[in-house]
Amino acid sequence: MLQQKSSKASVILRYAVIALVLVAILFPIVWLILTSFKPADDIMVYPPHFIFKPTIDNYIYVLQKANFLQFIGNTLLDAGVSTIFVIVLSSLAAYSFARYNPGGGNILFFILTTKMFPAIAVVLPYFLIFKTIGDTPIGKFLQVGLDKPGALIISYTMFNLPFAIWLMVSFFQDIPRELEDSARLDGYNRLQVLRRVVLPLAAPGIAVTAIFCLIFSWNEFLFAYVLTRTDARTITVGVESFFTLRGILWGPVAAAATISVVPMLIFVLILQRYMVRGLTFGAVRG
Amino acid sequence: MEPAVITKTKPAARVRKTISDKWYAFWLIAPAMAIILFFALVPLFYAVDVSFRKADLTMGGLQGWVGLNNYRTVLHEAKFWSTVVTTLKFTFFAILVEMGLGIFIAFLIYGATWGKGIIRSLVILPLATAPAVTGLFWRYLYDTQFGPFNYFISALGLPWHPNWLGDIKLGMTSLIIFDTWLWVPFVALIVLAGLQSLPKEPYEAAELDGASSFRVLRTLTLPMLSPVLTLVFILRTIDLLRLYDSVATLTRSGPGDTTETLTYYLYRQGLVFFRMDYASTMALLFMFAVIVASGFALRPLLARLAARAGSR
Repeated sequence: MLQQKSSKASVILRYAVIALVLVAILFPIVWLILTSFKPADDIMVYPPHFIFKPTIDNYIYVLQKANFLQFIGNTLLDAGVSTIFVIVLSSLAAYSFARYNPGGGNILFFILTTKMFPAIAVVLPYFLIFKTIGDTPIGKFLQVGLDKPGALIISYTMFNLPFAIWLMVSFFQDIPRELEDSARLDGYNRLQVLRRVVLPLAAPGIAVTAIFCLIFSWNEFLFAYVLTRTDARTITVGVESFFTLRGILWGPVAAAATISVVPMLIFVLILQRYMVRGLTFGAVRG
Repeated sequence: MEPAVITKTKPAARVRKTISDKWYAFWLIAPAMAIILFFALVPLFYAVDVSFRKADLTMGGLQGWVGLNNYRTVLHEAKFWSTVVTTLKFTFFAILVEMGLGIFIAFLIYGATWGKGIIRSLVILPLATAPAVTGLFWRYLYDTQFGPFNYFISALGLPWHPNWLGDIKLGMTSLIIFDTWLWVPFVALIVLAGLQSLPKEPYEAAELDGASSFRVLRTLTLPMLSPVLTLVFILRTIDLLRLYDSVATLTRSGPGDTTETLTYYLYRQGLVFFRMDYASTMALLFMFAVIVASGFALRPLLARLAARAGSR
């Protein structure tokens, strides 16, 4: 619309600039993945090697040493369990907000406010509280305490709940109310309507929300860094374990970072239709 | 509160009458609200409590009440204010660059005639990555000896050999470049969505009137885009003020203390020096500032966007 009669030169210029932008955006990711397949001799060299004989030595090193497999397992556990909690809690709440608007918007906005808390301000009291709970019998039984998976699962549930509620409200609002009304006329009660009509229709939105929650938990750093030491460490923090006293092992760092980054790249590509909606808490429905 | 209104229907509930819509709505949100209230407010009150005590974890942990002493100490501390200034400086320049570049890229993609989908999918990829992880790897990209960035600069024949993470004049710039790489896609993606959802009719009318493209931009596009631009601006500002991951892994507050943001200082006070009292006090002041700012700015805007989405 803005450039109705674009000349050939301006089209070429536009694509040249786009190509430049894409190179700048993709280079760090491409370089990360390339480095992860480089033999050690091809990493600390000048000028940088663009052509080399790929190897999976870095991955073998990462998976064998420094209990990185355990970090991967921890990350999957934390992200998976917290996402299940979040989805169960938030789908009920979001449906209620979308249909009945309890609190006239005030409660919903209060929920968003808790999402705006700076993580660093929250992590300090969490640290003290989990330190205390971890020493009690209940804390030990439920694995909630410092360097225990429960602490991160609770933190991530708390983190993603406001986001998930907001995003899902927008999905529930997209479901026509008439469908529910006619189901009620057919003799369904409210819970049956929710279970048999609304939730199946909302399934794509619920899946999208779940993937967002998985990405956020998977990529989380500060809580994992502060609340764990060794046993419950996650990937994002574990990457740093290849910064050794003998020097930085860039090959293994790149391999570990690739393990962290690539699955999320795939998730984001799956999500792309919903990225705008997700990133704006459902406010912009791109 | 609602219960007062409800009481009169309560006795009738026995007579096979189901609960009212209000109670149904309440019970649906109750589990989530219980969790949010508990896990947001308990730590908050705990932090308030600690901020009024002496709490040096290296010396006896939580101790007696000291009134407003911690607040007095923190607010009179030069270091606190210098990290506040660093945070604001970083936020100001980063938002300027990210908004400018993001809007530019959005218009660039918007005007593209083919390949829009693929370009968009490639542009959003940095958003998928963990800032802590990519921040760590960028130390390699910035490396003065082996880093590809300096290689490209010299390959272009420039007589410049920047020490990205070691030069106190460059540390902040390096952090902003990294944050821009990470978050420009966010700005570009949302502004692009905003552009694509603009109504067509005003443009057809403007074309009939023969308005210049600059005039169209100034009088049509920008005003109609402003809610989306404001939303992006506010969300980015909040995130920039709270930035922690990339400071922790990319610059580690250095060189010197040129990138020591308030969040990083807070972390060091609390979990390196274990002065939980000062840290909690600063955390509360910080939290209060962010929430008040976001509350005033965000709420009316979200209401406006919701109304617009509803009318479509």
